[in-house]
Amino acid sequence: MSESFRSSAGRKVVSRSSARELGSVSHLLVDARQRRIAAVVIGRGKKAQLVDWTQLSGFGPDAVMVGDESALRPPSDDRERAAAAGKLELVGKRALSEQGNELGELDDVTFDAGTGVLEELLIGTRRVHAGSVLGSGSYAVVLGESQDHSP
Amino acid sequence: MLLMTASQIRGLPVVTVQGGEDVAEVRDVIYSPEAGRLVGVTLNKRGFLAGRSRDVLPAEAIHAIGQDAVMVLDESSLVTPEDAPEDVGHPATERNVLEDDILTEGGASLGKVADLVLLVGSSGEVVGYQIEKPGGERGYIPLPAQLSVSGVALVVPNMTEEFVQDDLVGLGGAVDEFRTRLGLT
Amino acid sequence: MDAIGWLILVVIVLVVVAVAFVIIRRKRRGGGVIATKDKG
Repeated sequence: MSESFRSSAGRKVVSRSSARELGSVSHLLVDARQRRIAAVVIGRGKKAQLVDWTQLSGFGPDAVMVGDESALRPPSDDRERAAAAGKLELVGKRALSEQGNELGELDDVTFDAGTGVLEELLIGTRRVHAGSVLGSGSYAVVLGESQDHSP
Repeated sequence: MLLMTASQIRGLPVVTVQGGEDVAEVRDVIYSPEAGRLVGVTLNKRGFLAGRSRDVLPAEAIHAIGQDAVMVLDESSLVTPEDAPEDVGHPATERNVLEDDILTEGGASLGKVADLVLLVGSSGEVVGYQIEKPGGERGYIPLPAQLSVSGVALVVPNMTEEFVQDDLVGLGGAVDEFRTRLGLT
Repeated sequence: MDAIGWLILVVIVLVVVAVAFVIIRRKRRGGGVIATKDKG
């Protein structure tokens, strides 16, 4: 089942074992190399916590289910801290080709809710296969050669 | 492949392909007049009032130059001056050609150097100079234009005067013809 | 000084500060187009 970053932002996060609401989705941290979601960021600012994708029992249309509350953890490295601060957020990120030309702003990203694997990037009216992502960081998401149609 | 001027390249962010981070900004463009190519760039740190960065970027380490960024594979492409070729690590800043007077062998001034024109893609070939003619209008002269160059003047063959172009469109064709006339092809 | 006078003063100060920033930035950014030394 296909999901998108925009539509899943703000979705409530619930513990499967206790049925308690733990917070809501603020960001999705992506592993650019594997082109999949690595972790879900819950909450904002100093209190932001992460849950690894592997700890989710399900990413549903109405709630993100975490196996157990203990799966929530604070950011453990610089990259996770940057993600918690929203610096790595893909929605709104500049899309840059590996040739050094700007392709536009990333409007949304779709992914498989079952596996967390990224499917497509939406840039304006263009849909780009997630396989062309070469890297992503605080400045830009870098897309491979085939996406650049500049002269 | 596209034509860019050195002033368009200066100030561009240097972005890592793998990290998506803007790790530096282009400061000086360093080129070899003899080889007709870009040899490297010096860097500024990112930030509104940020100054010079110690690291430099040799041309071999550049993945691509585009209209919006200079791409490198990762941060290791940026090297200390000691690890870079001498021309890049310790550039001869007194040989800044901007504003140089362009003099023919015969002693006529064609104007001043306004910019450098490069063909960028995966390498940086210098195609010519953008000049400011004595009357103030812009023009272009093809490489190899100079017999000699210093920080104050560019000396060019007399024949260059016939090859002054009004726009970049003409420059490409002028380069080939110029080289043929000079006996280089 | 009346209100208009103060307003004009503030605007002038802001303009001077902005220009100062631009000049400082330009100096710190530096940069040029440098020709390598000729061989031999």
